[in-house]
Amino acid sequence: MFEQLFDSALADSAIRAMIPILLAALGGMICERAGVFQISLEGMMVAGAFAAVGGSYLVQSSTMGIVFAMAAGVAVSLILAFGAVTRKGDPIVLGIAINLFAFGITGFLLPQIFGVRGVFQDARIDGLARLPIPLLSDIPVIGRVLFTNTITAYLAFLLVPALWVFLFRTPLGLRLRGVGERPGAAQTLGVSPARYKYAAVIASGVLSGLAGAQLALGNVVQFAENMSSGRGWVAVVAVMLGRAHPTGVLGASLLFAFAEALGFRFQGNGLPVQITDALPFVMTLLALVVARKRFARLLDLTTASA
Amino acid sequence: MSGRRSVGGYVRAVRTSPVTFSLVLAFAVGATIVAVTGQDPFLAYREMFAGAVDGSGLRNTLARSIPIVGMALAVSVAFRAGVINLGGEGQMVVGGLAGTVVAIYTPGPGAVVIPLAMIAGAAAGAAWALLPAYGQTRLRLPILITSLLLNYVGRAITGYLVRFPLADVSVTLATTRQVPETARMPKMPVFGGVSLSIVLVVAVVAGLAIVYSRSVVGYETRMAGYSGRFARYGGVPVERQTIGVMLVAGAIGGAIGTHLIIGESLRFIDGELVLSGLAWTGLLVSLLAANRPVFILLAGLLFSGLQIGGLAMQRNADVSWRLAQVLQALVIIAVASRLTLRRLRRREVEQAEVAEVILEPAHVGEI
Repeated sequence: MFEQLFDSALADSAIRAMIPILLAALGGMICERAGVFQISLEGMMVAGAFAAVGGSYLVQSSTMGIVFAMAAGVAVSLILAFGAVTRKGDPIVLGIAINLFAFGITGFLLPQIFGVRGVFQDARIDGLARLPIPLLSDIPVIGRVLFTNTITAYLAFLLVPALWVFLFRTPLGLRLRGVGERPGAAQTLGVSPARYKYAAVIASGVLSGLAGAQLALGNVVQFAENMSSGRGWVAVVAVMLGRAHPTGVLGASLLFAFAEALGFRFQGNGLPVQITDALPFVMTLLALVVARKRFARLLDLTTASA
Repeated sequence: MSGRRSVGGYVRAVRTSPVTFSLVLAFAVGATIVAVTGQDPFLAYREMFAGAVDGSGLRNTLARSIPIVGMALAVSVAFRAGVINLGGEGQMVVGGLAGTVVAIYTPGPGAVVIPLAMIAGAAAGAAWALLPAYGQTRLRLPILITSLLLNYVGRAITGYLVRFPLADVSVTLATTRQVPETARMPKMPVFGGVSLSIVLVVAVVAGLAIVYSRSVVGYETRMAGYSGRFARYGGVPVERQTIGVMLVAGAIGGAIGTHLIIGESLRFIDGELVLSGLAWTGLLVSLLAANRPVFILLAGLLFSGLQIGGLAMQRNADVSWRLAQVLQALVIIAVASRLTLRRLRRREVEQAEVAEVILEPAHVGEI
């Protein structure tokens, strides 16, 4: 049974499941580093998915879908930036409200613009092509799994080392971390915390928008209401588990994606969908229990406010 | 304090309240969104308002306010104690199924079965809420995350149960059998039939209002909400309190879930309780009312009216009822962005405290 379970098709579906989670989690990681508590990844992701499908359908170009998705993610992210950074509002309250706003507005616009409810599917929606990278894609197994992928997937892969370099090897990254860890000190040195926080939140908007595009134009080619279905929250946990470190976040995202892919496979083997759907969340909870020492900061944050 | 206010004082308080401002702002943004999508916002709002009160509108608004106010009360219990329970949905669903099972499979007269079903629902909801509560007190896992993730797990488990062991095989839906006539929550002959559960909800509002303002527990939970460290210093058993408020929140959620089946749908259909987003509406209501029970009642009626009116708007003005959800979220975003000056000051104080701890290792604050 196990030989049937673990093969390159499973690896392939795990990678595909990982891309949206990883993209959103990398955005969450940047915010975490800048000291902004970001739990609206879910909302930005669903807005991105909607805009990706909308843009791709209207212009019949997946590239425009990606552009629309990033714009939608940024638009939603600005609500948090304004509320939490400029107005110093509670990021938890804002995050929850932003998620509900994003679900509400996409559910509202779906019938208003496209005249359908629930799911929007159309032949004119241009999905993301899987672009094989010459030579690399010829490598057995890995070539198909990693190097025959969508543009958003390649971007996600590249962002892991790129963000590591940015955060730990550039002055800008150092200042960003400084803003998160010692805002007072950063300000004394002439670094404007607000500006860095805005940039971080907008970056998370871009990345969550891309995550939505991968979800709605890459993994499937359609928009379904609430189609992020908890992935944004899983990304929030991935940031915590990965200690807001690029490789840690990658590992955590891969773990959850693997659970999702495994659930999908079990489903094929006859397990009821209700049970397999819960698998990534159960896995996430178990991972939290195993790595529980890491959440003291979030716990302090969440028990002090609201 | 509000007892001595004059009528003019009330008018001024409402007019200058940030909540009023936020409501106006949300409706203005909502109107813009409707106009941009090519519809008439004034027609939409007129239909929305009429739909919430005209004909059967008032009855439906009252009926929908039961779960909204109920879930808001559940949220308020936890939030004002500083416990961020986002698991209302899961607690409602798990409790709802437990209550439904008791209602379907327990023989006996309604006077026995109905209360029993509500108690079973409350117990199951409380038990489900205990998981994230222990997670926080024993394992130091933030309730914010665990309670939310458990929503998906609770939905999966109940979905599995109604599809297989508890399924009504005579229909194609994944659902339980229908609740027998004797076990249904009776309707009162007011406004054309409102569920008896509304009495329970009003009783909980009154009960919580008294507990919050007059009792030691109410005071201690509020202190813990302001500052866990301060409360602990004052001798409040914060961990036990976290368990306590989660039990109460889960119990209310479970009872509301049961009401939604034995008083409304009569079948537990997979995903139906989640689809309506009632738990999340309740959460927004509690935030808008700043966790105060009487204001929750008012805000709950308002949001319920928005949703019921929204359905009429969808029928008559061809504008999706989801506008109601957008408006609700916008109100909270506006309130959260505006009620900031006080929060800011408190955070600065906290940061100053943290700075002291760093400078002085043997700080008194380390309790």
